[in-house]
Amino acid sequence: MKNLMKILFVVIIAIFVAGCLENKKTPEVSMPINLVKMSGQEMIQRLGTGEIAGFIMWEPYPAIAVTKEDGKYLVLSGKIWKDHPCCVVAYDDDWYKKTNNSDEILKRMALSQLKSVEYINNAKQSDSPDHDQLINYTMQFGQMTDPVAANLSLADVEFVYNTNVAGTTTFIQRIQDFGIFDPNKWNLSGYKNASDYANSLVTNNYVDWAVNNKDENVSKIALKEPVNIRYAYLVNDIHELPFYIGWQKGYYRDLGINIVIAEGAPFQNGAFEMQQGFKANTVDVGSLGIPPVIIHRINSNDFSNDDTRVGVIAGMNNEGSVIVVANNITSLKDLQGKTVGFPGPGTIQHVLFLMEADKEGLKVSY
Amino acid sequence: MGRLVLNSVSRKFNNFQALLNVNFEVADGEFVCLLGPSGCGKTTVLRLAAGLVAPDEGSICLDDKKINGVNKECGFVFQEYALFPWRTVKENIEFGPQVKGMTKTECESISKHYIDLVGLSGFENHYPKELSGGMKQRVGIARAYANNPKLLLMDEPFGALDAQTRNLMQGELLRIWETEHISVLFVTHSVDEAVYLADKVVVMSARPGKVKEIFDIKLTRPRIRTSMEANIIRDSVLKSLVTEIKMAANK
Amino acid sequence: MKFETGKRGLLINILSLIVFTIVWQILVILARNDIFNIPFIRLRDIPTPVETWYALVGSMFTRIYGPSFTYGIINHVYASLQRVIQGGIIAFIIGVPVGIGVGYSKFLGNLFNPIIEIVRNMPPMAWIPLSIFIFVSGGSIFIVFIGVVFPIILNTIQGVKSTDSRLIDAAKTLGASESMIVKKVVIPSAFPSIITGLRIGIGVGWMAIVAAEMVIRSPVGLGYFIWNMGDLGRYSEMVAGMVVIGVIGYIMNISILLLQRRFINWVD
Repeated sequence: MKNLMKILFVVIIAIFVAGCLENKKTPEVSMPINLVKMSGQEMIQRLGTGEIAGFIMWEPYPAIAVTKEDGKYLVLSGKIWKDHPCCVVAYDDDWYKKTNNSDEILKRMALSQLKSVEYINNAKQSDSPDHDQLINYTMQFGQMTDPVAANLSLADVEFVYNTNVAGTTTFIQRIQDFGIFDPNKWNLSGYKNASDYANSLVTNNYVDWAVNNKDENVSKIALKEPVNIRYAYLVNDIHELPFYIGWQKGYYRDLGINIVIAEGAPFQNGAFEMQQGFKANTVDVGSLGIPPVIIHRINSNDFSNDDTRVGVIAGMNNEGSVIVVANNITSLKDLQGKTVGFPGPGTIQHVLFLMEADKEGLKVSY
Repeated sequence: MGRLVLNSVSRKFNNFQALLNVNFEVADGEFVCLLGPSGCGKTTVLRLAAGLVAPDEGSICLDDKKINGVNKECGFVFQEYALFPWRTVKENIEFGPQVKGMTKTECESISKHYIDLVGLSGFENHYPKELSGGMKQRVGIARAYANNPKLLLMDEPFGALDAQTRNLMQGELLRIWETEHISVLFVTHSVDEAVYLADKVVVMSARPGKVKEIFDIKLTRPRIRTSMEANIIRDSVLKSLVTEIKMAANK
Repeated sequence: MKFETGKRGLLINILSLIVFTIVWQILVILARNDIFNIPFIRLRDIPTPVETWYALVGSMFTRIYGPSFTYGIINHVYASLQRVIQGGIIAFIIGVPVGIGVGYSKFLGNLFNPIIEIVRNMPPMAWIPLSIFIFVSGGSIFIVFIGVVFPIILNTIQGVKSTDSRLIDAAKTLGASESMIVKKVVIPSAFPSIITGLRIGIGVGWMAIVAAEMVIRSPVGLGYFIWNMGDLGRYSEMVAGMVVIGVIGYIMNISILLLQRRFINWVD
C-alpha cells in the first residue's frame, strides 16, 4: 500500500506542477493569437471585464462596445479587403427543385433586396427625410437602445444587391489555403478549382431581372398566387438590415411573398444556418455570410443527395465587420498569446482575421 | 497478577437480560473455560472483562482494581481472528507496541519473539489473506500476547477451524501458555475442549446467564483426551450442560 | 460488473471491438449506396471508421496552413488531462477528510448529510453557467472538482462506515486511543473504498470537463476541439475526438484499477 501511495503521489505531483508551470509561461514571440468562439453579447461583456483582449464581429456589436468605451476599432474589415463580399441571399436547392415557380419567386426576392438597399442608401444621409425611420429600424433589428451606436454601425456597412463572383472565388481560394475544407469532401464535390466552384454557386440572373423591372408597377409584377417562403437570417446582424426593411415595409408582401421565419431562425451564426437550416430542409431562402455557405456546402454535404446544396442569388452587404481591441492594444501583434473573441470557425470574421494576420506573418489558433 | 473477580454482575441489553448475578473468579495464572449454550452471555462476560462494555450491577475487578473503560491489561483473541488485513503478520503483532509508543527496534524484537513462540517463523511478511485459519489464529494469539497482558481473553478462538486443526491448536495454545504463563478466560461450546484445556470449567445457564456449576479439573498435564478420568469429568460436565442447552433450544 | 479475465476473455474483448468496427463501416457504406437506411438518422453523414482513423492521424499534431494554426489532438488531450488532474487533486484533498469526518462522527454526519445529499444530485454540467460567472478563467477546474468530489466523499463515507467493528474492538483492546483508531484502523480499512471513489470520480470529472470545455473560453481542450470541428462540418475529426475521449477515459479507469489490484492486495 505504501508503494501505491508513493507512485501515485509522484506521478500526480509531476503532472500538477507541469500544469502550473505551463500556466505561468511567458508568451513567446511565436505564440498564436487565440481565437475563442463566443456570442456577441459575451464579446462585449468580456472585453469590458478585460478577460479578452479583443474581438472580431459583425456590426452592431463593435459599435456597441465602442460607445461603451470598453475598446476601440483597430481594423475595419474594409481595410482588410476593400469591398469584400459579406452576407448573401441564398436558396435551398431542394426547395428550388420541388417548387414550380421558384425562378419567379427568386426574381422577386432579388427585387425586394434591391428596393431595400436603395432605400437604405438614401436614408443613410442624415438630411434624408427617412433617416429617423431608418435609425429606428436599425435599433429594432439590432436590439440597440442607443441611436449613436446605431448610426455608427451603419457607417461601415456597405449594403449591396449584386453578387460578386470574383470575391467569392477569392474566398474559396483562401479557405482552401487555410486547410478548412475536408479533403475527402472536396474531392467528392468534383469542382476543379476555386473559380469553377464560385461560378457554379453564384448567379446574377435574378438581380439582372430585378434591375430591369425595378420601375414596373408592383401590382402588375406581383405573383398571381402568394407563396410562403421560410426565411432564415442571423441574430442581431446589421448586415441583414435590407431583409428586415423589406419585411417590415412590405416589399416582399407586395410582390406576393409571405415571409415566414424559418424554424430555428435567427441563427447564432452561418454554420448553424447551413447545418440546421438548409441541410435540414427547414429553410427555403436565407441570408448569411458567404464563407459558411462555401464551407458547409462542401463539408456538411451528403454528396449522395446533395442536401446542403444552395445557390447564391444576391448580395446582402459588403464589409461591415470590425476588429475591436482593448484600449491598450495598438496593433495586431499585441494580440499574440492573448484571447480574441470571434463568432466561430468558418465564419467570415474568422477568414478575414486569418487574412489580416497573414499580412503580418502572425499565427492564429481557433 | 491477572486475578479476575466477577461479583454479582448483571447486564441488560435493550430488551433482554443477558447476565443476571454472575459470580466467579479466575485466579492468578489459572486457565478457566466458560461453557454454556448459545446466547447465554459468554461473550458478554468476556467483553465485560475487556472493558468493552460495563456492568449494570455488580462489579468486575482485575487484581482488585475495578475495570473502567477499555482494559489495557487484557489481550483479546477473536473467533474470526480480527487481524488487520492491510498489515503483515509482523505488523499485526507490532500494533500494540506501536500504539504504546515503543521504538522500531523494540517493536521488532517483541514481534520476533512472539512469531517464534507461536511457530510462525518465516511468515513475518505474509498478509493474513495468505494464511490458513490455524495460522491466522496463531497471529491473533501472538498479537494479544505482544501487548504484555495479565489476562488473556479468548472468544471461541478455534471455533472456525476444522477438527484436526482445532486439536492441534489446542495443543499449541497449551504449549504457549506454559511458556508464558498468564491467566486465561476461554469461552467455548465444546465440552471436550474445556476439559482438555482448563483448570476450572464454569458452566453457565441459558439466558439470562447465571453460573450454574463450577467444575475443578484436577487432571495432570499433559492431559490424555481419552483417559478414564477425563471421560468421567467430561460426562459430569456434559450432563450439567445438556439441560441448559435443551432449555435454550426451547426458548 | 465482472469481466472474464485471462487470455480467453481478452481475446473476446478484442474480437468484439473489431466486429463492432466492421459493422459500423458496413452500415455507413450501405447507407451511402442507398441499399440500407435507418429512418430519422442520417446514417450517410456518419463518418466511417476508416475516415475517422485518417482524421485522427491527420489531426494528431498541430498543423499550420499559412496563418492558420490548429492545435493537434495531443495538445487538446494534454490540456484536458491537466484540468482533470488538478481538479482531481483538490477534490481528493477536500473530499477524503470530509468523507472520513462525516462517516465516522454521527454529529458531523447529521450536520453535513443533508447538504451533501442535495448537492451531489446536481450534475457538474448544471454548475457550468454559475461557474463561468464567478470564475475569471471559466472555472473548468471547478467543474472537474464538482464531478470528482462527490464520488470520493460518498465512497469514503461508505468505506469508513463499513469498517469491521471487530477490528475496532481489537484495536481498543490493544490500547489504541480514539484518534489512533481513526488513523490506524478506520482509514486503512476504508482505503480501498477511497481509491474506488477516486476512480469513479475521475471518470465523472473527465466527462464533465469535456462538456465544460464546449462552453468555456480556452482554445485547447478535447471538448472545445469536438465542438469546433462540428462547427466546421469536419465530422470525421469530430468523431475521432470522441473516440480519443472514450479511450482516455478507459485508460484512466483501468490504470487506477490495475494499481488498485497490484498494491491494495490485502483485500480478499
